[in-house]
Formats: sequence, structure tokens, C-alpha cells
Amino acid sequence: MARAVWKGPFVDSYVLKKAEKSRESGRNEVIKIWSRRSTILPQFVGLTFGVYNGKKHVPVLVSEDMIGQKFGEYSPTRTYYGHMADKKAKRK
Amino acid sequence: MARIAGVNIPTAKRVPVALTYIHGIGPSTARSICDAVGIDQTRRVNELSDSEVLQIREHIDSNITVEGDLRREVQMNVKRLMDLGCYRGLRHRRNLPVRGQRTHTNARTRKGPAKPIAGKKK
Repeated sequence: MARAVWKGPFVDSYVLKKAEKSRESGRNEVIKIWSRRSTILPQFVGLTFGVYNGKKHVPVLVSEDMIGQKFGEYSPTRTYYGHMADKKAKRK
Repeated sequence: MARIAGVNIPTAKRVPVALTYIHGIGPSTARSICDAVGIDQTRRVNELSDSEVLQIREHIDSNITVEGDLRREVQMNVKRLMDLGCYRGLRHRRNLPVRGQRTHTNARTRKGPAKPIAGKKK
């Protein structure tokens, strides 16, 4: 079920604070965040976030198309290099 | 013979059924088209007059995206997701299910026919 509209989008408050701070300072530094569950808001466009994936902060440059999605969608948590069997089969 | 929305030539079938031969029109859309244009659903395509066919054609052209336009729209949406680098885009790139289905078994629609794994016999 989709989230009720009257609640507004969910964003962890520290993300908002950090984003505002970097906006004011004007420097385009990577903003490290752990909150993968936060919604990407219109005022985040143009900023670079380092979204934690459990191991490191993946840099994500927020563009207009990303608004409304969650930060976690841009920082994959799993690495998959394929199966060994697949490679053998291809060699034959 | 009736040409509606480009290449489609459905023939001796009932109008709502014949319209579903167009990519982007299913049973429910086809029925709504018949209602909008005022054609009885039990009538067949070869019973229609030229003006009725024209009415259907105009209704589809102005209200519904079909065939090439629809395919292009879908393709563009998929491409947008892939360019964004978001999770859904990654799944599209890999040709795996996008909406969180299991891939341990099943998911054959996206993965294609099952490939045998080398050295798994005996």
C-alpha cells in the first residue's frame, strides 16, 4: 500500500540538516548519510550524497528524475559477479 | 478489410475482439472504445460502414497511445531507469525481475529458457 499523502514524504531529519548546511556553505562536498530509507526531495537536486550500502558510502549525484525515490535505490547492497559454471559454459 | 492504427487488419471477428489485435488495446479498452463511438458489441468488423471505421480510427488516434508510439514510450521509460543507475534500472540491465520477485527458482519470463549447468549430472 502506498504511503498516506497527508503525512508528506519521509526524510530522516539529520539528512535535511546536513543538506541545508552544505547548501549554505556552497561547497559541493559529498554528504555522508546512512539513511537509505529517506525520500529524495526537490531541494536535494544538484547535491552529492554518499549513501551507505553497509560497506562504504556510494556517491550519488541527485538529478531531477530521482525525486520521489529513496536514497537506497541508488546504492546497491549486493555484489554479484556471476557463477563460475556460467564462465565454463561460455568457453566451450 | 479495415485498417485501424497503421498496420492492423482484423477481419470477421466481433468489433471488441478485433480491436484487441492492436498493440496497446486489451478487452477492456476495446469495449470502452465501442461504447464511446456507439457501436454495438455484437457487431462484426465486416458489417461496419466506412464512416464507423473512420470514427473508431479517429477515437483511437486522439485518445489512446498504441503500437509504435506505445512501444517507444515503454522503451523510453525503461531507458530512463537504466540511465539513472537506480535499483530498478540495474534489474532491467541484467534482464532480471524488477519488482522483487524471487529468482532462486522461476523468473523464466525474464531470464529466458533454462540453461543447463555444466557438470551437474550423475
